[in-house]
Amino acid sequence: MSGSFSVVLPIVILVGGAFGMTSITMFLRLKNKAAAVLTILILLSALVALIYVVDRAPDPDPSASAFYGVLSPDGILFKVDYLGIYLISVAILVGIFVSVYSGESLSRDHRFVLYYPLILLTISGLLGLFFSTDLFNIFLWVELTTVSSSALIAFRYHHEAAVKAGFKYLIMSSLGGMIMMLGVYFTYRSTGSLALSVISDHTDLFTRIGAGCFLVGFWIKAGVFPLHTWVPDVYSQAPSAISGLLAGVMSKSMLFLAPAVCLRLGMSSSELGLFYILFACMNMLFGSIRLLKQDNIRRFLAYSSIAHTGYLMFALGIGFLYELEAAITASLFLFVSGAVMKSLAFLAAGIYEYYLHSSDVEDLKGVYRRMSLPAVTGSIALAGLAGIPILAGFNGKWLVFSAVLEISEPMALLGLALFLLSSVISLGGYLPMLAIQFQPSNGDRSDNAGTPVRDRISIWMALPTAGLVALVVLLGVIPSPWLRLIDWFMDWVSFL
Amino acid sequence: MKITELLLTGIILLPVSGIILMLLWRKASKTQAAIVAIISEGFALVIPIILLAELRTGQPVSFSVPWIPMLGISFSLELNWLSLVFLLTEVLVTLAAMVYSLGEKRGEKASNFYYSLLLLFSLGMSGTTLAEDVFLFYVFWELMLIASVLLILIWGSGKNRSRVALKYFIITHIGSLMVLVCLITLQVQTGTASLTALAQRAGSLPPGMQQFLILFFLIGFCVKMAIFPLHIWLPDAHTVAPMPVTIVLAAAMLAMGAYGILRFPIALFPVQSMQPFVIWMMVAGVISEIYGALMALAEKHVKRIIAYSSVSQMGYILFGLGSLTAQGIMGGVMHVVYHAIVKTLLFMVVGIVLHAAREKYIQDLGGMAKLLPVTTICAAIGVLGISAMPPLGIFTSEWMIFTGGFRSGYPVFLTVISLIGSLFTVFYALRFFGKIFLGELKPSDSTGNPNKALLVPTIAVTVFLLVEGLAPAPLLTWVMRGLSTVFGGAY
Repeated sequence: MSGSFSVVLPIVILVGGAFGMTSITMFLRLKNKAAAVLTILILLSALVALIYVVDRAPDPDPSASAFYGVLSPDGILFKVDYLGIYLISVAILVGIFVSVYSGESLSRDHRFVLYYPLILLTISGLLGLFFSTDLFNIFLWVELTTVSSSALIAFRYHHEAAVKAGFKYLIMSSLGGMIMMLGVYFTYRSTGSLALSVISDHTDLFTRIGAGCFLVGFWIKAGVFPLHTWVPDVYSQAPSAISGLLAGVMSKSMLFLAPAVCLRLGMSSSELGLFYILFACMNMLFGSIRLLKQDNIRRFLAYSSIAHTGYLMFALGIGFLYELEAAITASLFLFVSGAVMKSLAFLAAGIYEYYLHSSDVEDLKGVYRRMSLPAVTGSIALAGLAGIPILAGFNGKWLVFSAVLEISEPMALLGLALFLLSSVISLGGYLPMLAIQFQPSNGDRSDNAGTPVRDRISIWMALPTAGLVALVVLLGVIPSPWLRLIDWFMDWVSFL
Repeated sequence: MKITELLLTGIILLPVSGIILMLLWRKASKTQAAIVAIISEGFALVIPIILLAELRTGQPVSFSVPWIPMLGISFSLELNWLSLVFLLTEVLVTLAAMVYSLGEKRGEKASNFYYSLLLLFSLGMSGTTLAEDVFLFYVFWELMLIASVLLILIWGSGKNRSRVALKYFIITHIGSLMVLVCLITLQVQTGTASLTALAQRAGSLPPGMQQFLILFFLIGFCVKMAIFPLHIWLPDAHTVAPMPVTIVLAAAMLAMGAYGILRFPIALFPVQSMQPFVIWMMVAGVISEIYGALMALAEKHVKRIIAYSSVSQMGYILFGLGSLTAQGIMGGVMHVVYHAIVKTLLFMVVGIVLHAAREKYIQDLGGMAKLLPVTTICAAIGVLGISAMPPLGIFTSEWMIFTGGFRSGYPVFLTVISLIGSLFTVFYALRFFGKIFLGELKPSDSTGNPNKALLVPTIAVTVFLLVEGLAPAPLLTWVMRGLSTVFGGAY
């Protein structure tokens, strides 16, 4: 073993933390809230370790020093990936909010002992994916995220639909995994190596087929149309906080991971860009049209997520096809804004579900009088997703438009027109969803004096939603610090 | 920071403080919320008047701080003579609507929220007129839309208010997106987001791009102005919205479209780039003018009559701006102001009539003069005003618009059609007055003595209309100065 152990420290903290906290929770018989706090501490430690990794990298070329493992063509090696660090930092941030929220939402379920470790394993899987330098390890980490995510999705196992959703996700992801394995086969057959650094110097038709296989595999996990079929079921049946984590961070991260692998396997930047743009258009239109007629708020958010996957793919596609740094910057901003807005929306939907025992849109009529917090925070999330100024989503939109209009290429402009069309169509869904919460309802619960009864929202649920609202507003009003951070990361992103 | 800069930011920040205060003051009664809103909005009226002295030195009052430096975006405000005219118009209309709201039943519940949205609506318009940065302009442009949509959604009347609000939002948002595409294109192609700098650089863009931008800007802003056939959101939105919101929508918000046309396509691009669009703007103006008037003539719902009248009046404004002559543009801007006053008055009158008669169709109304003598006088002056009777203001502005039309160099028959079309305005105005106020009293259970909160602002607006008509010189001077500072003598 050589290199710096600090490189794998965040992974060790997350994986070790997952197993450690399971033992501690069981041994000390910790309550749910204590387990949530423990998870938050582990996530914070991992975040600090990530910052430490960034801080310790003295060389602008991370391949020179920032690694840990066996330095041989067949050895297992982890390398610092700055794109991964950026994405995982956001994942950890969302994970912290989700854990705080789960401190209340899981209080009715005694299986929290498994819940929090699964969250940690899912995030660690993502980190392992970005830090791995060979195809086999990438495959293994993909499987880890699949298994842990499937377990989280089917967590409410007493609901048949939840089990089905978890099973569906498992089948779809396994299919993706098998296709990736096929990619591994083609690549190994041609180059005799699984190390990305070796393969990238010997690319040929077979490695390019392998790249295609990995692209399909990652796209299944990202929920790209027409491989999206698991998305509505999973996001509507998983615990709401988990849906937020999956929709906001985990699935979108796959869109960044695919280029990092495919470009090294010989796929050209322009090919990748073209694929991304074409499928982005389908995602945008499909997602925005389907969200119009949803009568379940979580299915509505799932289709919204498909549309947003399209927006993100479009920005990335423009970046790759025209080698435009501004578009990649836009995609990184869209990622963080989407993560906070989507997780906020799912958390607000989860609060409704927790107190109303329903996620039907019809039951949200006039809910503002009963629960003003989720109504306001959920509305801010919806307004942000709709791209209303001065919220995070609007700045993302502005950055994408700026990038496209800077190059003014016909294909980019056509994509932009579809982007605009999609955002107008989706307004037809966002606005009624936003309004229904504030409309008068005949079924207000009242006390003896006729005053409407208001539900007291637990502080464990109120705090993370308030924190996410602050982030949605801050990213909208003061985006400069985050843009500077993205700019700093852009210098280090290897596939650029 | 100079005192003038501080005052300028106050036009934005003081209403923002009012909004925050009201949102926090959840138990505020309607009167308390109204007082906070009126005081906050009052600052937006008083400060520009204080800044008049500074404007008279010949320099605009401006303030700028970097906002998103990486994108070259700054929080830049500028008060010049042109923005002053639009700003004061919008603020006065909103103030009148706020006072009028006190007499309305709507907004009784959650009045802090109602007044804060009304204030936000006005803030969006104030910011639009003051913004000197394209990003900031769009932020305020959208704020005004969001606030108005929420007001209709929550306090609108009828079961279909969600559908109407959605229609209004989506159609006007499509126009906004067209404007957004133009703003971003201007910024990325010229490397600046400042309107002052854009005025120097936009002319050097490739001609094809200039034409594309002008076309998109015109369509985008014409949606907001409700020019035929982009007006389809207006009649329903005006009908469903609570009366004070309708007043602000019709009298102030539509004018923002005209302001956009002045600040962007006309001010940024050379005359030769605008020339191909002149004839189309004039034709669209005439069609809108006549279509709106005919629809007002055929309409039975009293609120919709005045709503269609707005489509017609915006047609005059577009015709004037489209003529690209000094007289036409000046007439267009003055028409914005006079239309705002007259439209505020007419909607206030309609509100009083609806309260008294509880009937909304013109065939069910009549003889209101017997019950509402003061309102009848106000209505008569309003009707004469919209019919462009001298010496009331619209006569002056229409005179200038038609002069601009004749001098535009385009076929005279277009201006003649516009002139003849103005007769329809007289017809629908007289029908409106005759059917509602003259003849037998209908319905018989109508009640007199309108609420003072409704009557006092109506009388005040009537007096203001008379004063403006009899003494148009100050406004004319402001508009002339505004056009010369913004366009630098190009027209």
